[in-house]
Amino acid sequence: MAKIEVKDLRVSFGALPVTTGVNLSIPDRSITALMGPSGSGKSTILRVLNRLIELYPEAKVSGEVYLDGQNIFDMNVLELRRKVQMIFQIPNPIPNLSVFENVALGLKLNRLVRGRRELFERVKSALEKAQLWDEVKDRLGAPAGKLSGGQQQRLCVARALAFEPEVLLADEPTANLDPENTAKVEALFLELKKEMSIVLVTHYPPQAARISDYAAFLYKGQIVEWGPTRDVFTKPRHELTEKYVTGRLY
Amino acid sequence: MTAKSHDRVQVVDAERQLINWLGLGLFAFLGVVAVVPLFLIISDVYIKGIDAINSLGGLWVFLTELPPTPYDESGGIGPMLVGTLYMTALGALLGIAVGFPLGVYIGEMRKEKFANVARAGVNVLVEFPTIVVGLFVYAVMSLAKEDLNRYMLGPLSNAISSLGEWTPRFIGPLDNVISLLGEWIPWFIGPLDGFNAYAGAVALTLIMIPYVALITASAYASVEQPLREAAYATAGREFNALFVVLRKAVSRAVLTAALLGTAKIAGETAPLLFTAFGNFYYAPFTGPTGAVPLWIWYAAQTPYDVQIVSAYGAAAVLLTIILTIFIIARIRG
Amino acid sequence: MLGFLLIVLLIPYLIAAYALLLVKLKWGLKQFGALIVAIIGLLTAMFFVEAYPIIERDGLAVFLEVRWDPVRESYGVLQALTGTILTSAVAIALAMPMALGVAVTINEILPARLRGIFGSLVDLTATMPTVIFGLWGLFVLGPFLQDAVNFVSRSLVGDDVMTSPYTLFTAGVLLAIMITPYAAAVIREGYALVPKPVEEAIYAMGATKFEAALIKLRYARNYILGGFFLALGRAMGETVAVAMVVGGNFSRFTTNIFESGITISSLIALQFPNAAAYQYMVPALFAGALLLTLFGLAINAVAIYIIQRGQI
Repeated sequence: MAKIEVKDLRVSFGALPVTTGVNLSIPDRSITALMGPSGSGKSTILRVLNRLIELYPEAKVSGEVYLDGQNIFDMNVLELRRKVQMIFQIPNPIPNLSVFENVALGLKLNRLVRGRRELFERVKSALEKAQLWDEVKDRLGAPAGKLSGGQQQRLCVARALAFEPEVLLADEPTANLDPENTAKVEALFLELKKEMSIVLVTHYPPQAARISDYAAFLYKGQIVEWGPTRDVFTKPRHELTEKYVTGRLY
Repeated sequence: MTAKSHDRVQVVDAERQLINWLGLGLFAFLGVVAVVPLFLIISDVYIKGIDAINSLGGLWVFLTELPPTPYDESGGIGPMLVGTLYMTALGALLGIAVGFPLGVYIGEMRKEKFANVARAGVNVLVEFPTIVVGLFVYAVMSLAKEDLNRYMLGPLSNAISSLGEWTPRFIGPLDNVISLLGEWIPWFIGPLDGFNAYAGAVALTLIMIPYVALITASAYASVEQPLREAAYATAGREFNALFVVLRKAVSRAVLTAALLGTAKIAGETAPLLFTAFGNFYYAPFTGPTGAVPLWIWYAAQTPYDVQIVSAYGAAAVLLTIILTIFIIARIRG
Repeated sequence: MLGFLLIVLLIPYLIAAYALLLVKLKWGLKQFGALIVAIIGLLTAMFFVEAYPIIERDGLAVFLEVRWDPVRESYGVLQALTGTILTSAVAIALAMPMALGVAVTINEILPARLRGIFGSLVDLTATMPTVIFGLWGLFVLGPFLQDAVNFVSRSLVGDDVMTSPYTLFTAGVLLAIMITPYAAAVIREGYALVPKPVEEAIYAMGATKFEAALIKLRYARNYILGGFFLALGRAMGETVAVAMVVGGNFSRFTTNIFESGITISSLIALQFPNAAAYQYMVPALFAGALLLTLFGLAINAVAIYIIQRGQI
């Protein structure tokens, strides 16, 4: 069974439809790429998966989404967000909190740990997994706003990993990073996919080709093509898909 | 997850939801408590005030007659209303005249160091204790009064009244009008007493200036850079750019500032205590002048019922003026 | 002569400033900036001058003693200073929670349509004339508080604690109602400045609305401090409303907020009409005004500094 099943998802902002009847199956322990030109609805779909879309009262959502067979709209949203974590295009640590506090915040809010020892261990292991520990271990108390862009993004990854999530949603996570940091994040994902399902939104087809196992191509709110990455890129069934993956469609 | 830890998590979630409801409820309660007194006050003032106006002779009487002595049964706030209107108008005009350029200065010239000093000054003055402002004007007034009257205002008013004496030789039929003017002019221009309407107006101006300046400044500061650059490019002179081209973009905010500032100074009492001082009669503006807030201040603290009642009537009138200005500002802004 | 010169020079100065606006805009604008700075300097200087006679005679005793004896020309404003501090403390302690409540209610709890109206109501409270607050305090709030407080105190200690409706406590409560909109306006501004990406991150971590509100308030803590100092400055300087409900106790020193008292600003307002008859009362009142000015300058300066530092 797929980790996440999306059935006939329609989202509109006010009168403007953003996605029309999206169907998707996200397998476990793999990287699924959602790609397409800007405005095709990728980020919107992502935000439905952890119900973050509910922060936008103008957004109307219909359709069904299942996580491990459970309808996410019937679930307790707090439980959903523990299992499905997100990292964003522009790194968004809470700038006035320290590096340590940023990673610890989710754990403390959700009462996932008992005692300072356990908290410290969880934070440390999350930072290590995100490959940030060595760079910040001497300044865990420094405000998060002082880190560089690449470090901030890895901090956000650590923050998500601290939950030991089952699904990681990534909204164009390397769009604002330089090639070196991009490579670090991509290598990290390849490691993480062994433990969780990753849904990666990207506007850069080569990235999808590099690291994803499955790819879905979205165009104007609809899934045009979906399947194993190698197939989508080498034997696309749709003319639009072929145009997009060869860089002739924006 | 084991069944046991799953249950524990559910309990924690339920607890957090409970805290969520209680906490938000507390915030909502506090927010409502902050706003409830407004309704209490408005209803109290209008209920007792309208009753008061009726018992003191009706609206027209109340707006034109002299205030009741402790033994009268009817009366009004005529002189106070005139004083408030005069001083508020003067204060507002001067306040906008100085506050607006000042606001443009601190809003637009942000790179100049002096502008930042002036901005700090304005921020400090904007909610300064108003009684201190009144005392300041009193101090300057008492220092300057003698000389001001002797060297400037005395000769000026003499000149204007004697104008009334020799013009009939030239303009025969108009000399009735001129001599009528001659009677009225001393009410406006002439040697000033220690307490007078102009000192009151100046105090009000000093309170209005920082207020208008700050709102003007933020209106100009929130003009987006592309628009500002376009304005400078097309307008030639800087004066045109700031005051003609950008006028549309900022006029709404500035108008709101002007209206709200006027409402604010119309209700001020403390700055008038030592400048206008107050007056129970229709009197020249060169002497002690009454104002509606001053009457409320005075009458509410007397032991005489009829005067306390008239204070409520005055409060109703004042509140109506201010609410009207406020609503106009909200609708147009 | 000096005052006369000041006034006489002011008019040509203003005319020149306006003329400059038309000729060389920047210089013209700068004159208005200079004007405001000059006014503040002049104000402080004048108060020093007017207060000088009593400072010369008594030194700093005028600030440190409890005395108001016009007949013996002996003045000390300590009881007024204490009153100012006590009423401001009560006011700010009650106002800050309400201001926080307003900010969270507007931004998190109310639906979009009601936000504007609620915000306008809060702003309207700020525009209400203080003398009307005083009137209401005199005839409605004071007696009510007296009944309410005595009701509670009778059950707790068996005695009536508030013997008059007009006490420092009454003034403090009235002040709290009046200064809440000022603190609320600043906090609202700071709260609204929380960036959307940060808000998304907070919710993505599974925060409840209440938890998110607390995190956002922590983010806006500079604005909360700024609002605190702004409201405090306002409370310390408020004159008319306080004068009408504080009880006018000029000469007895008290730290019991349930007793009548006096504040510096209400002292000036209530005693000034008598002051001309005495030789040293006017300077004494100006000494009080000087103290208020320095407080006002200091607190507002701190408030601005805190808000601006947070903006960077």
